[in-house]
Amino acid sequence: MNTSNVGSGEFTDFGANASVQVTDKFRIGAQFYDRNIGEIGKWRPAVDWAYGDYRFKNWLGIRGGKIKTALGLYNDTQDLGLLQTWAILPQAIYPLDLRSSTISHLGGDIYGALKLPKKLGTLSYTSYAGGRPQDPHGGFVLALASVGLTMHSYGGWVQGEDLRWNTPVKGLLVGASFMNQHITGDGVLTGSSSGITYLSGLLKLPVGSLEREHSKKDDYYQYYVEYAWRGLRLDGEYRREFRDEWVGYWEPSSTTMAVTFDAISDSRAWYGAAAYRVSKRLELGTYYSRFIADWRKDPSPPTNHVYDRVASARIDLTNHWYAKIEGHFMNGYGAFDSIRGFYGQQNPNGLKPGTNALVVRTGFNF
Amino acid sequence: MKTVMKNPNGLLVIASLTILLSANALAGDVRIIANPSVNAEAISASEIKSVFLQERNSLHDGTHVEPVLSKGGPTHEAFLRDYLGRNDDALQNYYRSLVFTGKGSMPKALHSDAEVVAYVAKTRGAIGYVSATAVVDGVKTLAVYQSENDGARKLISRVEPVYPGILQSNHIGGTVRLKVTIASNGRVEGVELLGGNPILGEAAIAAVQK
Repeated sequence: MNTSNVGSGEFTDFGANASVQVTDKFRIGAQFYDRNIGEIGKWRPAVDWAYGDYRFKNWLGIRGGKIKTALGLYNDTQDLGLLQTWAILPQAIYPLDLRSSTISHLGGDIYGALKLPKKLGTLSYTSYAGGRPQDPHGGFVLALASVGLTMHSYGGWVQGEDLRWNTPVKGLLVGASFMNQHITGDGVLTGSSSGITYLSGLLKLPVGSLEREHSKKDDYYQYYVEYAWRGLRLDGEYRREFRDEWVGYWEPSSTTMAVTFDAISDSRAWYGAAAYRVSKRLELGTYYSRFIADWRKDPSPPTNHVYDRVASARIDLTNHWYAKIEGHFMNGYGAFDSIRGFYGQQNPNGLKPGTNALVVRTGFNF
Repeated sequence: MKTVMKNPNGLLVIASLTILLSANALAGDVRIIANPSVNAEAISASEIKSVFLQERNSLHDGTHVEPVLSKGGPTHEAFLRDYLGRNDDALQNYYRSLVFTGKGSMPKALHSDAEVVAYVAKTRGAIGYVSATAVVDGVKTLAVYQSENDGARKLISRVEPVYPGILQSNHIGGTVRLKVTIASNGRVEGVELLGGNPILGEAAIAAVQK
């Protein structure tokens, strides 16, 4: 078990938005967002979303610009602590450090809601395509840096669909999302000045060698269910991400690739959560989250899984101010490229299988 | 809605019932009001839910609408319970998720029935809810019906009209039209004969009042 008596305040975020209903059918808006999560974020303000939205009919609308991506129950609202019971969402599916890989796209949406016949409820759909924003300070880049690869660019094309069904059973929502990414990246094996030359040694290539990669296949399949009844809320999600990434390395003086391979992973993740609103001011909840870094391999080693048992309390001090206290009891840390909160840079003496964490979080909204 | 009566001679006596559901047919304490620019005279419960959840911004007739909320109180609670099926905290969180993703806006929320009525009266497309006893000058009251798709309109009991003997013996049949007002609990509050044979009408009225 990793132990630390030192707390950290490096988990702070901030957002502000404005929108205008220009006509009955057309609205525009934008939101800025900034966050500081240790090495990730570090107060680099960015446009979180900014787009125009034209709704032709209730069943057909379009959006264009930088748009939050519909993927599962909480992808597009994962930053909004005010909406959630949890201080930290289940990291199996919503890893804080991989936020930028799914949070938004620069492109367009087609969306709408269809009322189904014969008391079958409502079906909402979103179909989207666009560019995935670059994030030079995200978890993926940080994780690669931990093994001696510095990425100069990492981004690409994304398209997907989300279908959610508000069933005739009051409070029951079920849905499915699919997302396909085509990522390209360019990097360089880091020099000894960084102190990290692991990949350079493994590949038997000199520091300064160049790296290039692109997706041959990178698909997300996600299924979810939510049930709310009075103060009780139950939800669960399952995600499979299959990646087949072509990777090549070459020396700058050469015109041919020295090393090429396919980096293939098949990760599976799910969680189940329950929360109950005890009173206007207090909500209690628990969830269990499981992440298997590569489903094709034995999940039992800590290098191939992250399990997290969580107990949480949310106190709404006022209508605009909340506090959360949450205990995490984790097992496993996954592979270096799992990107679930464990990095070589922060753990130079290695990792142990168990990690407990106490998270206290507060937030305001106006 | 029709009441059909067969006589032994094969004659059909049909009582056509014009059912006028009052505005508080679903929620006895809530009246749905709209700006006069809204064309519709009636709205389904599922439409109300979709409008207030911002899943749609127009009614079935194409009229653009904008939901208006009350801030707390028994009417607000009754509206949430009867139409939206979620409590105020859940609703506020839902709106915030729309606002912070740019996919909707926080509806106007007002403190009193009078404020809601005043705002709805002056705002094109506005649709809101007030208590059934509120003064609703300058706005229109929308009748509320359960959507045919919701299937929530249920026949509790069926009473066949008694075919009057004197008409039966003279082979006299026909159609009558009734205007029936039904309360939210299903009780018949009023019946008015609009047309047809008065004797058949009496029989039909007696049947629908049982």
